[in-house]
Amino acid sequence: MTTHPTPGPTLDFSSERGEKPAPERADLLGGAGPSEFGSFDAHHPPAQELLDDCVHCGFCLPTCPTYALWGEEMDSPRGRIYLMEMAEKGEIPLEGSFTTHIDRCLGCMACVTACPSGVQYDRLLEATRPQIERNVPRSRSDRWFREAIFALFPYKRRLRAASLGGALYQRLRPKSMDKLLARVPERFGRLVAMESLLPPVSVRDAFRRMPERTPGIGPRRGRVGLLTGCVQDVFFHPVNEATARVLAAEGWDVIAPREQACCGALGLHAGREAEAIERAKKLIAVFERAQVDTIATNVAGCGSSMKEYGELLADDPEWAERAAAFAAKVRDISEVVDETLADARARRHPIEARVVYHDACHLGHAQKIRSEPRRVLRAIPGVELLELPEAEICCGSAGIYNMLQPQAASDLGHRKAGNIRGTGADLLVTANPGCLLQIRKYLGADLPMLHPIQLVDASIRGVRPPEMG
Amino acid sequence: MTDTITPRSLDELRDAVIDRPGTIRIAGAGTAHDWAGTPEPADTVLDTTGLSGIVTHNPGDMTVEVWAGTPFGALQTDLGEHHQRVAVDPARAAEGATLGGLFATADAGPRSLQYGSLRDLVIGATIVLADGTVARSGGHVIKNVAGYDLTKLLHGAQGTLGVLARLVLRLHPTPQVTATVAASCERSAMAGLARRVADSPVEPTAVEWHAGRLLSLLEGSESGAEARARRLAEILGSDAAVLAPDDATQAWEAHAAAVRARSDDRAVFRFGVTPSELPRVLDALESATGVTASPRTGVATVALPADADVVATAHRRVAEAGGTSTLRQRPAGAALPAFGPAPASATVLRAVAASLDPDQRFGRGRLAPWLPLPDQTGQPTGVSA
Amino acid sequence: MPERTMEAPHGGTGNDAPGAATPPVAVGPELARAFRDVLPADLVITDEVGRRSYECDGLTGFRQIPALVVLPRDADEVAACVRVCARHGVPFVARGAGTGLSGGAMPVADGVVISLQKLRRILEIDVENRRAVLEPGVYNLEISKAAAPYGLYYAPDPSSQQVCTIGGNVAENSGGAHCLKYGFTTNHVLEMEVVLADGSVVTLGGPTGEQAGPDLRGLFIGSEGTLGICTKVTVRLLQTPETVRTVLADFPSIEAAGDTVGDIVDAAIIPAAVEMMDSLSMEASEAATGAGLTVDAPAALIIELDGPADEVEAEFSHLTAICERHGATRMHVPAEAEERQKVWKGRKAAFAAVGRISPDYIVQDGVVPRTRLAEVLTRIAEMGRDAGLRVANVFHAGDGNLHPLVLYSEAAGEHDAAEKLSTDIAELCVELGGSLSGEHGIGTDKACSMPRMFSSDDLAVMHRVRHAFDPDDRCNPGKVFPTPRLCGERPGPYRPHPLEEAGVIERL
Ligand SMILES: Cc1cc2nc3c(=O)[nH]c(=O)nc-3n(C[C@H](O)[C@H](O)[C@H](O)COP(=O)(O)OP(=O)(O)OC[C@H]3O[C@@H](n4cnc5c(N)ncnc54)[C@H](O)[C@@H]3O)c2cc1C
Ligand code: SF4
Ligand code: SF4
Repeated sequence: MTTHPTPGPTLDFSSERGEKPAPERADLLGGAGPSEFGSFDAHHPPAQELLDDCVHCGFCLPTCPTYALWGEEMDSPRGRIYLMEMAEKGEIPLEGSFTTHIDRCLGCMACVTACPSGVQYDRLLEATRPQIERNVPRSRSDRWFREAIFALFPYKRRLRAASLGGALYQRLRPKSMDKLLARVPERFGRLVAMESLLPPVSVRDAFRRMPERTPGIGPRRGRVGLLTGCVQDVFFHPVNEATARVLAAEGWDVIAPREQACCGALGLHAGREAEAIERAKKLIAVFERAQVDTIATNVAGCGSSMKEYGELLADDPEWAERAAAFAAKVRDISEVVDETLADARARRHPIEARVVYHDACHLGHAQKIRSEPRRVLRAIPGVELLELPEAEICCGSAGIYNMLQPQAASDLGHRKAGNIRGTGADLLVTANPGCLLQIRKYLGADLPMLHPIQLVDASIRGVRPPEMG
Repeated sequence: MTDTITPRSLDELRDAVIDRPGTIRIAGAGTAHDWAGTPEPADTVLDTTGLSGIVTHNPGDMTVEVWAGTPFGALQTDLGEHHQRVAVDPARAAEGATLGGLFATADAGPRSLQYGSLRDLVIGATIVLADGTVARSGGHVIKNVAGYDLTKLLHGAQGTLGVLARLVLRLHPTPQVTATVAASCERSAMAGLARRVADSPVEPTAVEWHAGRLLSLLEGSESGAEARARRLAEILGSDAAVLAPDDATQAWEAHAAAVRARSDDRAVFRFGVTPSELPRVLDALESATGVTASPRTGVATVALPADADVVATAHRRVAEAGGTSTLRQRPAGAALPAFGPAPASATVLRAVAASLDPDQRFGRGRLAPWLPLPDQTGQPTGVSA
Repeated sequence: MPERTMEAPHGGTGNDAPGAATPPVAVGPELARAFRDVLPADLVITDEVGRRSYECDGLTGFRQIPALVVLPRDADEVAACVRVCARHGVPFVARGAGTGLSGGAMPVADGVVISLQKLRRILEIDVENRRAVLEPGVYNLEISKAAAPYGLYYAPDPSSQQVCTIGGNVAENSGGAHCLKYGFTTNHVLEMEVVLADGSVVTLGGPTGEQAGPDLRGLFIGSEGTLGICTKVTVRLLQTPETVRTVLADFPSIEAAGDTVGDIVDAAIIPAAVEMMDSLSMEASEAATGAGLTVDAPAALIIELDGPADEVEAEFSHLTAICERHGATRMHVPAEAEERQKVWKGRKAAFAAVGRISPDYIVQDGVVPRTRLAEVLTRIAEMGRDAGLRVANVFHAGDGNLHPLVLYSEAAGEHDAAEKLSTDIAELCVELGGSLSGEHGIGTDKACSMPRMFSSDDLAVMHRVRHAFDPDDRCNPGKVFPTPRLCGERPGPYRPHPLEEAGVIERL
């Protein structure tokens, strides 16, 4: 691996808006001069053919959340691709403005959906982020913060500890704390953001474990391996339970291997490629041992990165094939349930509710799964499904984005909450824990929020859905 | 002494403009000679009626190029042979008005609800400027965005800025059938009733109120138009009926006659406001008679006493409601304000006029006071960008 | 990239540059400071990466780095920015979504880009009067979305409607598939607030079609940002038609499809839209959208009728009979709105989708009289063969508006040949009695072809009018009008410039 020198003054690239302008351009590339890949190093820079696909038509602008917020070309997909192209030609350094604008990208992939020219922005971004992680020195506070996140999130044990702290803390914390936090200076904004995201979680839920094996009811459809997830299992344990129940009710044996750990999605989407690769390998091995037909996940972000394992490990002869085989088996839970709708075994009991479904970006945009969850929900008698204005625009959660870019995330969160309120729904469902956390923060207690599978589960069991009282 | 000259070709027209010194008043059939601002006495009257007839008509392309002095009625008759028409119906057409005259006065009739005015149908023009420059803009195709749409500048210019020599127009097929639904209705009720017409799916070509009736015009195919008319009559209820063809013709003729009526002591005032303002403004014009109103476009034509204060007040009312107004025919010699208060854009108008006709040779006085008369020294006043 | 960069015609240096009379251009910290006095600092973009992001619009072949970019948030701030430009004698370019395909929003050297992307509010949907009041940055499609709950919509529908702005539409007089029946932007805009070059604000047009004095609104629409910046637009809304019927019909040849269009016109049917696609464009679009186009059909028409049910049903059977008479090989009549949307998506995504079948391409936009469609298509095919380049066709057949897409590979060095072919096609349209542009405008791209369509007198008159609005050439200078600086550098038949011979060139 060659690292590209990026000399010049080290500014604080903490990626907040309104920061100092970037250093003036390419002369700063210094004596080393542009490499064959311009300002990128030789390790998988964004491929020129992929960059060429962009015809600069701008169709992707309106659904890009950062463009919706700021209307600046550099913070649009078209602009970011243009920046990549300039960097590829060595006309601008990675450090500075380039990093700022790429950092601000939520990776929501709304642009991929909108693009008629078939630009694979997902691949471009996944090639660019590691370049930044490798080649751009981050400020100390930024580095510290990113490390903190990655030291916490992917580890169930640490998350449980944090959640325990959180649970106690939420109960004990004085009301005045909110006011105090509202006044802390901007640069602590991220800490505040992280703090306020901690969801209300009961100690019991946080420490519940999934059974390794839940037998299917009636004639068996097959063996499904369930990814329990890191955040999901700690903060949304009931979703995993509901998932297992629904799968079992529809005739699947559900295998939830104990030794599984984080799938690496959070790291992958943040450009921490090496870390993501290690996690992927471990997970593949775990599910190979479990000998399952299908690998189901109820977390949109995990699903989208597991489906990409094939590409992530393509360079590794030992793993390429295994990764591809794994990826081919991955299904979002809504896909699995949707396939069974034609001959559903479990009777659905009516639930009278006006339900608004929020497309998680990693489901709708990254995996193009939009109609499946809707069909699954419509199969519940009594459910009236409402559509959300600006459905394509991200809620601002985007993995760890809401911690790294709290201002943008908060603007998007408010926007989404406003749109949701406008529908007059009784219930919000969405298939990603990040979205649930984020939306809950801005919608407050206005509306019960569930994972779609929880609604299906309640319908099959004939009980009131949780949170709906 | 005013001389009249009647050019018969583009060259003659240009030569006339170059050769004649001094000011020029452009005249077509003279049906609107007393509209808008009162023209200053001119050195020459340029009669456009010698520039008449179709230049080219391509039925398959649905476009026609005509000389500006062509009487509108004659053009429609010619086009009718190909089952085509220019889809506007200004009342003055019946008096022999020329295309150029209708264009320069921005005149339009009831069908403007669907088709707009001539500005919406013109796709090109040839004009002659005061310095003899012959300029073309637009072209022969319906869709064309090359260069400035200069033609539009002459729409409503009232014979200032330049002489229209030729116009290229977009055509529409003549409908197989027209049907009219009449509903008796007080003026105070017209807005509500017209809204019901608009909200129905029948898509009327025109909706006009006149003499205690709301008339809705439906045009289309043989089976379609009549079915729509019956449907509309049903929607509007017991006071509405589909008129027999003769009655329909009569009703629309009466409407047009009211619009072009001349009287010895009244002036005709034409204005446009947003439809929801229309009833209020009409009510405020207490002395108005002979009202024809288009409740869905917000345009109305009324007769007012030929009194400067009354007319000035009417202009002001319309301006307060955010609309525009122009005075039309009036008793000979009556000194009445032609326009309301000058909008901010009058500065642009002056600058454009100064660029195209710096000496105000054409139609001096027609757009006064928005375009003020040149001062004694012959320099236009108030020109600034 | 740099080798393709055209230097903007307005350099502020050469004595042929318009505005040479204005004081020397002061770009630099002083100008940035002046803008920061009227805008928050982060809305004045001075860093190179930011400025370069704005160096081109949808036509990437023309690039120019602006001195700086500003993002005012409302009409007052736009006026304030224009006044800063006026005070400093700096030219400016308004920018909407930057989807223009003629280089209209390409910056001017040492000039300012005024982006209107923060003026995105829909100020009013007036249901009673059927109009909407909009800020210029509102996306075209958003208007119809906002009006839909009231059974209303905004008719002009450029293929780029999801992203292009109403301000850009006004500047370009944009059209779309449904403009055959309903007209173009100019037929739907009633009133506009405009900031002039000196920073003053005027209203053009009025609340109705009724007009007192010349139609300045009509002049401004389609003037490509050279007469001022539009900061507020009032548009008409139409009632959603009761019935919409669409047919996607495949034909054994382009000629058969063309004849069908002619017969539809002869039958006195005015469809809401008649669009034609050839097999190459269908191939691309199908790959992008899966709209259900027949990829191996030589040509297809998408014909849509809308209006009251009674009319539409009668005309529709007539229409399908005409298609059958011309040997339509397949007729697909989408049953539901959703399916219809899919067909339209196939059409509207066509330009951008061509990116899938060719590394590079040029979208051309010319118009011929409808009766000469078959002729022009044959000639285009010949010209393509001669140049050794593929040309895909997708166009508004109803009004003779062609969009030949010249496919080429930059890497294979085909750029110049492609550009020449594309220009030749546009000029062929003029030769056949048509126009250089039906909707994308002249901008930078076609300024040099203008003398093919207009005489030097025509152009000089347009220029006089321009100077009435903008005496110092500060609004988007160098666009629309040919300048020796721009056209002298171009290859091809433009030298010597006809205007040079005519001695008018100094004025331009
Ligand atoms: C894939 C694709 C398909 C297209 N299809 C069509 C089509 O079917 N029909 C069609 O007509 N066009 C089409 N276009 C062209 C383009 O979308 C239109 O010209 C559109 O109106 C441009 O809008 P914009 O907001 O992107 O303007 P920009 O590209 O930003 O600007 C265009 C011009 O308008 C000026 N301008 C922008 N805003 C203002 C303002 N507020 N006041 C004054 N001047 C302003 C700019 O200076 C520039 O000269 C297409 C483009 C693409 C990429
Ligand atoms: S991934 Fe989302 S935030 Fe990033 S450029 Fe695409 S649309 Fe914008
Ligand atoms: S929609 Fe696709 S091709 Fe168009 S600008 Fe965006 S990424 Fe590029």
